[in-house]
Amino acid sequence: MPNRLWILVKGELQRLNKYNMTSVSILVAFIWGVMLFFVNADILATLLPIVILLDATMMSLMYVGSVMYFEKSEFTISTMLVTPVSNSELLLSKLLANTVHNIFSSALLIAVFVLIKDVQIHYFLITIGIIVATLTHTLIGIVMAYFSKDFTGALMIVMTFSLTMMTPYTLLMLNIIQGEFWEIILLLNPIQAASEIINAGFVGFQITYKYYLSLGYLVFGSIILYIFYALPKFQDYAVKNSGV
Amino acid sequence: MFKVENLKYSYPKGESDVINDISFDIAKGEIFGFLGPSGAGKSTTQKIMIKILENFEGTIYYNGKDITEFSDEFYEDIGVSFEMPIHFSKMTAMENIDFFLKLYKNKGDIEALMRRVDLWEDRDKMVGEYSKGMKIRLNIVRAMLNNPNMLFLDEPTNGLDPMNAMILKDMVREFKEAGGTVFITSHIMSDIDQICDRVAFIVEGKIIEMDTPRNLKIKYGKRSMTLEYKENGETVTVEFPLDGIGKNEEFLNLLQTKKIETLHSGETTLEDIFIKVTGVQLKDAE
Repeated sequence: MPNRLWILVKGELQRLNKYNMTSVSILVAFIWGVMLFFVNADILATLLPIVILLDATMMSLMYVGSVMYFEKSEFTISTMLVTPVSNSELLLSKLLANTVHNIFSSALLIAVFVLIKDVQIHYFLITIGIIVATLTHTLIGIVMAYFSKDFTGALMIVMTFSLTMMTPYTLLMLNIIQGEFWEIILLLNPIQAASEIINAGFVGFQITYKYYLSLGYLVFGSIILYIFYALPKFQDYAVKNSGV
Repeated sequence: MFKVENLKYSYPKGESDVINDISFDIAKGEIFGFLGPSGAGKSTTQKIMIKILENFEGTIYYNGKDITEFSDEFYEDIGVSFEMPIHFSKMTAMENIDFFLKLYKNKGDIEALMRRVDLWEDRDKMVGEYSKGMKIRLNIVRAMLNNPNMLFLDEPTNGLDPMNAMILKDMVREFKEAGGTVFITSHIMSDIDQICDRVAFIVEGKIIEMDTPRNLKIKYGKRSMTLEYKENGETVTVEFPLDGIGKNEEFLNLLQTKKIETLHSGETTLEDIFIKVTGVQLKDAE
């Protein structure tokens, strides 16, 4: 990793810690841990992937939204714009720092259940799943921040997105929506696709073409979103919110 | 050092040009003041010069090279102090400075800078606990931490007490003496008067006056001498034309025979010139 990007990532992680995001993340993992500790093995097998999914998707949106809100309110983005770093370095540092941060909380949660409840994990697949799901949703969170004027606005966008995306996911999970056609169509929903690649990290999950479809969709979708929207619009967003 | 030619700019959704065909240059080692009422285009011009705003018309050269041809390395050479505090409030001053310092190849003497603005003792305090004045002083350290050749200062003394404002003005002068160049915007005319070599007044996106503060005062001042003296317990005020004053017998006679209370030339202030050329009172311009 180029030196300057590494400095930016370290800075982002330091700020996540200083602005208590890391504490919140550990607290959330702890609360989930306590709740799941008391459920039986069958329910745990269903709920743990959902919790990991929520952590990688919804929480990623919330964390990056909060970080960008702090930047807006303190106008620090203006001073970042006049440093010898490129916009791509600034944007990548946010993506990487948020991903590292999320992997930490997910890993904490998984470690607890592997050690205490003997949950069986495919470590490689779960790592891939969490990284891809977090990166995609952090990027979506950044794009959402472009459209929000204040913290309430950001919260509303995240809530609307969550409700819109979680509803079909829940309907499919509860078999209210059924059939292969819908299973494929609903993979367009990034949360559904993220669920597919995270579930693959748990022993017993049958990997099918839908896994590869979801992985490809999230990876290439993120690359396209980054290159054609998030990066070109970053300068406009930064100038608008620089306060200068 | 900087050469701005026929600069025009309008915001994407704006109907008219915010910057309307302005040209000026700033020589190396010069302190150049940019003055104007609110919304005149000062900040927009600065944003374009520091490469934050793109899609402008015209050309801007920095050291002979078009600024659009510079990469992000351009920022190794300049320092920018914004009007409002721009720090991570939940980090200490040194954590803020250390973070930014690591992004530059050139590194200034942070301890010396922090001591100069009297923040060294408070370096480990959270910036959120700093007063407004302390945050402004930290802005200056942030702007100078990479030993820049060119400084952009936006209202640098706004919010500072007279002592700290003086320290800051001294720092700007020392920066100039060391070969640095400064672009400064301010509505505090005494500051501009004291430190700027040249000033430009911008109104509605156009530069309407540009010269040294001295020349402007001569141009807009009244060539007269006003004298006040006491007579029969009352203050008498008399005004004489400055031309030929050394041979003006009435003036010389008053000097010799009366108890003079005040004696003023008709030199105007930069504040009066600001009002004259911009048509705006300073309190409205802030």
